[in-house]
Order: sequence, then structure tokens, then C-alpha cells
Amino acid sequence: MKRMRGVELMAFAAVLAVAVAIAFNGSGYAVQVLTSTAIFIVLACGWNIISGLTGYVSFGQVAFFGLGAYLAAGLIVNLHVPWYAAAALAGLGAAVVAAPLGAIMLRLQGIFFALGMFGLARIGQIAATSMGATGGAMGESVPTTGNALETTLTILGLACGAVLLTHLLMGSRLGLQLMAVRDDEAAAKGAGVHADAVKVAAFCISGCLAGLAGALYVWNIAYVDPTSAFNGTIELQTILMVLVGGIGSTWGPVIGAILISLLGQVLWARFPMQEQIILGAITILVVIVAPGGLVSIVNRFGWLQRRPVWSPPPAPGVPPGTRPPLGAAFGKGRNARLRGEHLRKQFGGVVAVGDVNLTTEEGSILAIIGPNGAGKSTLFDLLSGFARPTEGKVYFGDRELTGIKPHIVARSGIARTFQTSRVFPSLTVWETVLLASSSLNRSRRVAAAETARILSQVGLLDQWASLPERLSPGQQRLLEIARALALHPRVLLLDEAMAGMTPQEIGRVHAVLAEVVRQGCSIVAIEHVLPAIAPLASRVQVLDFGKTIAEGPPALVFRDPDVVEAYLGVGEQAAVDAGI
Amino acid sequence: MLHDYALLIVTGLLWGGVYLLMAEGLNLIYGVMKVVNLAHGDFIVAGGLVAFSLFAAYHLSPIVAFPVAALLLFAVGLAVQSGILERLAARGGNAELRTLLATFGLSYIVSNLALLLWGGQVQSLPFLQSSIAIGDLPIPENLLVCSIVACLLAGAVHFWLTKTVSGKALRATSQSELGAASCGLNIRMIRIVSFAMGSAMAGAAGALTIPLIPFQASSGSYLTVQAFTVIALGGLGNYVGAVLAAATLGLAEAFASFFLGSNAAAAVVYLLFIAVLIFRPQGLLGKAGRV
Repeated sequence: MKRMRGVELMAFAAVLAVAVAIAFNGSGYAVQVLTSTAIFIVLACGWNIISGLTGYVSFGQVAFFGLGAYLAAGLIVNLHVPWYAAAALAGLGAAVVAAPLGAIMLRLQGIFFALGMFGLARIGQIAATSMGATGGAMGESVPTTGNALETTLTILGLACGAVLLTHLLMGSRLGLQLMAVRDDEAAAKGAGVHADAVKVAAFCISGCLAGLAGALYVWNIAYVDPTSAFNGTIELQTILMVLVGGIGSTWGPVIGAILISLLGQVLWARFPMQEQIILGAITILVVIVAPGGLVSIVNRFGWLQRRPVWSPPPAPGVPPGTRPPLGAAFGKGRNARLRGEHLRKQFGGVVAVGDVNLTTEEGSILAIIGPNGAGKSTLFDLLSGFARPTEGKVYFGDRELTGIKPHIVARSGIARTFQTSRVFPSLTVWETVLLASSSLNRSRRVAAAETARILSQVGLLDQWASLPERLSPGQQRLLEIARALALHPRVLLLDEAMAGMTPQEIGRVHAVLAEVVRQGCSIVAIEHVLPAIAPLASRVQVLDFGKTIAEGPPALVFRDPDVVEAYLGVGEQAAVDAGI
Repeated sequence: MLHDYALLIVTGLLWGGVYLLMAEGLNLIYGVMKVVNLAHGDFIVAGGLVAFSLFAAYHLSPIVAFPVAALLLFAVGLAVQSGILERLAARGGNAELRTLLATFGLSYIVSNLALLLWGGQVQSLPFLQSSIAIGDLPIPENLLVCSIVACLLAGAVHFWLTKTVSGKALRATSQSELGAASCGLNIRMIRIVSFAMGSAMAGAAGALTIPLIPFQASSGSYLTVQAFTVIALGGLGNYVGAVLAAATLGLAEAFASFFLGSNAAAAVVYLLFIAVLIFRPQGLLGKAGRV
């Protein structure tokens, strides 16, 4: 593994050495190819951050490219700002514009975001065309520094910077959070990730790189005009580069940018009219044959693999002074009862939950049972901030939680799992738990130690580097419980968490739950299979058609005629009495 | 002034009829496959340029040429769906995203092929160039005829979808592939036919639009956004909503180009598009939470 890293670094150094050699000794043509490739690397890294790492595919990255180009040109021509400052300001300006834009646009998903960005790029182009100050549709020339070598080396250096930035991001907490949002946004929120904020952060970084690339482009050709600044071909090439190289990887954009740039030169020389047709065909081919690009192919041989964030795990055990009390956000002695009062949730004409009251007791387990469609999971959504009640309020201790965003609820000590398994397909076991642990703003050392401790508690530590697809269904459920425990919950909401587990796994979960309950955590568990939770529960609350039909100690509730009717139908009381 | 407004409203609504046909093809494809064909606008352009060539060579009027364009694009649609998109769905994982990227590549192929075949210049064809007076409003005859034909075509397809067995099979597939398959429908064939039908409608729309606005090979992406705006505004996969949305877009564009100029009218389409995505993602009539 270590040696592999060395080989990768040497390959990168070799490519860089060739690039520098070309910059100093190459022909004018070779230097031009080098410069445009380096600009494309910056652009491709930017696109990869929002589309590959965050999962929001954009067809309008040229909106920021064009913005950067026009900002740089405007600053130089009108305000005579020196080149370096103009390029930096262009990147900064694009990032500043990206923040409010991202807050709006990132509410869209999939095709809507992709086409919305496309529309933005076209609006930018129309705006640039109608602006008299920058030469309108014809564009204007921009004075640049005379020294070609300086230009080339600067652009090359910034390309290296973009790659380094991607590398650092992929190994950081933010990168981890972005990948989690890409894989499953709701589950990421449940793990305490402020999804909206990290998405906007990624959008800003991505826009900044694109704006910088636009400024470099103007620097290189000493001209700016709407058609080339907001050029759809640049968009196509950028996307194709990242796809060919490997979307969502550190090295994909670099490899793709070099390959497609060289290919583009060949095509331009030989088939200038057919160039875009061929590039379009390659896009389709890559998407069909190798959607993960070249990086995913060499990954099979163990090369260029992504290293799990903040790995390897430290040895389990409790480093002195690093273990915070349960529910650190609220302090230990305080009242940590979760109360739902008169909760009601309506979807159109359907009342999923109607007037349900619920209170947890510290250090005890409340089981919620009820037939399908009784409103159990909706109730959890109301308690954990994933849905807002139509009526009623949620309190945690003295604090009202109604309408609070899910990631804040999660960080304040109420963790949940989901009814259907929601693990992150591309995060390792280690990263999945680390995500939740690090969302409490702990230091890297504490978060890593905590993660290792919880993984060894649930028995998954030896699987730390595995992806969820390598785990059994029961182990995936365990992983979700571990993710919830990493939030140091004072209330744990388990939604059929033991579905699909083997008896051994259920035994393991029971042991873990008994331990957290002993520490004062309260648990609310939805279960379909009664034996899964009944042995531990001190109280049972039965829902049917969105209403509580019984509650109390298990032994009493299971003999309640209403409960028997809801589960078994009328006239089966005799069977229950007979103990069948 | 009142006269101007009345004229704008009537022409806007007539344009709405043309937009409806442009969008219905995309709606059909989205309804069944839940993907947007980003080459849709390029298909429209190709259909228009085919009609242009038929006029240049044989003096065929677009009313005669549109079935030819539709048939040609039907064949293209068959090839694209069975040759490319079916292969994507079969390999699973991120199918929606990959289909989007594939049609993105396709749009470049189609628009640049059109560039090779027809050149980059703006093309149009003369068709019924006078106006007729309705009341005291001078309505361009070509707009009137093309809009009526487009509406009839869109209506015919709607009739096919709602009243015939094969159309119902298609709608069943759009609502639940699994359910349709368990009723014994060949859903692969249905996907291929609906993509081809959607493409054919794009071809017909192109042939009926080129007499009204000149096309060039690169107009496709604008038309894709226009068509997508209509179906997004109407609620994706919602055919009744699309009628309202097409009329809205026609009116918005007519008023914007009258008051702000044609360049700004283009920006209005994009702005309307983004506003719809943000404020009304479920469409005019759709249920909340469709996105």
C-alpha cells in the first residue's frame, strides 16, 4: 500500500517534469497544448468536486468559467489591476457569486440541477453579449504580460494546486461529508452532517476553480468574447475528461485532461469538422463501457485507490481524557427526556399520525409496535426533524425541537436509524462511523479514537476497510447502529434495526443496547418481530391507524383486547389466553 | 395599445401550440423512462432541416414534409434507444445520471452531424407568408396553420395514449415497469417504441417550426431547454399540465420579445425555466414532491 503511494507520486513527478521541460524548451505549439491542458486540469478538478465528489452533475460549469474570464478582463482593462491579482480576484469573485447561487440551485436535484446550471450559463452568455463595456458579442482584447514562460509556469503551478486541493479535500472531513451527501443525503443528515452547508461549500470551491480557469484562459489568449467564454464545447470536453479519467477520484481529472487534450489536438489537426462528433461518441462509449473511467479500471489492480479518510484506525481502547459523557451537547445531569405532544401528521387527505403522545424515560427502552401503515416510521420522522408535524410539538428536555433541522437534532443527542438499510455505498465501515463521530466537531484524534471504540464494541473493527457491499445484511444494520451510537445519543431511535439479523447478531445488538441503556441513554425501538426487542423493553406503545391504542408494560399490553384485535383480528382472544 | 395586447395574446397562444408539440415528445420519453433526452432539441432541428431540404429539392410544403421528418426521426429514435440507452439501463447503478450524460454526448453528435450536412448558416423556408385578418388582428397564416397542425398531432398522440390498448400499455409502463412486466407487457419494446415516438414528434415539430423561426445546426440546446421548461412547468409526465405550460411559455415569450427585444426574450425563457425549477418543481398542476 505504502509503496503504491510512492509509485503514484513518482508518476506524478515524472509527468510534471515533462511539463516543465516543455515549458522551458518546447516549441510554441507544444507550449500552447501544455497551457490549455493545464487550464483544463483546473476546470476538470472544479467540475469533479461538485459533480463527482458531491454528486450534483452540472451542465453549466462554464457559467463560472465565463464569469471568471469576464471578471479578470474587466479588472485588467478598466481598473488596470495587475494580472496575478486579477486572476485571484476572478477566482474569489466566482466563489462569492457561487455561495448564494448554490443555496438556491442546490435545492434542485439530478436533471433539474444539471439543466438549471445549463440555463445559467446561457443567461451569462446573453448578459455578456448585451454588455457594451466588454465589447458585446465581438469581445475585446485584454493586455497580458509579455513573458510566455511566466504565463505557462503560473498556469502549470495552478493546475498542480488544483490537483493538490482535490487530494486534500478527498482526505478531509469536508470531503467525507460530501461523499456521504452524494451517496445518501438523508442518511448523511441523520449522521449530523449539515448537508446544505457542505454542498454550498463544494459549489463555491468548484466555482472558484472554474473562475480561476476562466481568468487563466483570458491570460493565455489575451482576448475575451461571450461565445468562447461560455463555450459549450469547453463544457463537453471538461465533462468528458473527468468521465474518461474517473469521476469522483483524485487523479481522474488529471489523467482525463491530459488524454482528451492530446486527443483533441490530433482530432483538430486531422478531422476538424468531425471533432465534436467523435468526442460525443467517446462520451457515450465511456458511459456504457466504463462509467468509472480509467481510474476504476486500474483500481482493480490496486492502483490509484482512494485511501479511507483519517485511516488507519488507532488501536481500540479509551485514550485518557478523550471520552466525553453521553450527550455532551446537553450535559449529563440535565433532563434528557424526549417528548412528543399531540403529534399529528397529514399527507394530503391521509392522516399518517393523529394525536400521538410519547415520552422516553432515561435508561429504559420503549418499544413501538403496530401493523404496517400504523404511522410508526412517520412518528420517527417527526421526532428526528425529518418531517414537520402538522400539529403538536416535540421537546427534548426543556428545549423545543419542533421544526429543527435533522442534522441539529442528531448533533444534540437524538440519533436514529432508518427502516430500510441506508448505508453509504462508497464509504468504508470506518468512514461511515467516523462521519457521525466527526460531525460533533471533535478533534481528529478524539473522533478517530471514538470511532475505533464503537466499531470494536459492535464487532466490526476488523472490517474497517470494507465497503458495505462486502457486509452481510445483518452487519449493515449493525453498521447503521454504530453510526447512530457515534453521535453519543441520549435518545436512540431504532427503526426495525434488527430486521434481517441472525440470532447471534441480535444477541450482539442486545448486549450493546443494554450497555448504552445502563449509561442512561433511552431507546425508542420500532419492531415488527416482537422477540427482537420485547425482552429488553420496559414499556410498549401500540399504534394503529396513527393512534395509540395501548401502552404500558409488555406483559399487560400484549393481553390488551385492542392490541390483539389489531394484530390478530377479532375472536382470537381465546388463542392468546391459551398461550398460543 | 389594446390591439397590440390582443395580437400578442393570440400569437402567444398559437406559439404555445407549437411548443406543445415540441414538448410532448420529451414528455412521452420522460413519462416512460424517467430520463430527459438532452438531444431532443437537436432532433427538432434535424426534423426542421430535413423539411428544409425537401423544400429546396422538391418544393414540398412543410405540411407534406413533416410526416417524412417524423418517420426519419422515428428511425433515429429506434436506433438510439435500442443501441445506446437500453445498454445503459441494463448495466444498472446510476442509470439516470449515465443516461443523461449519454444523451449529452448524443446532442453533440446530432448537432455536429447537422452542421456537416447542412452547414452552419441559418435556414428557413417560405410557407404561407401572408396574414389573414381575424377580427381586426392580422394573424400570420403560417403560424396559424402550423400551430393548428401541431395541436392536432399532440391531441392525436394524447388520444392514442389514453384511448387505445397500446397507448395504455405505454402509460402502464410509465407508472410501474414492474407491474407492466408482470401483466405480460414487453417493456423493453415499449421503451424503444416510446423513445422512437418521442423522437418522431420532435421531428414533426421541427418541420412545422422551421417556416416560423429560422434554424441553424446549433439551435438544438435552446430548443431542449424550451421543451424541458414546458414539461417542467406542466409537471413532468403530466399531459394536461403541458398544455397550460406551453400556452404560458408562448405568452411569456411573445410579451418579452415585444417589450424587451428578442435577445431578452431568450433570457426570459431561461429565467422562467430556473424559476419553475425552484419555485414550482411539481409543475402547475402536479402534486408536491415530484422532484
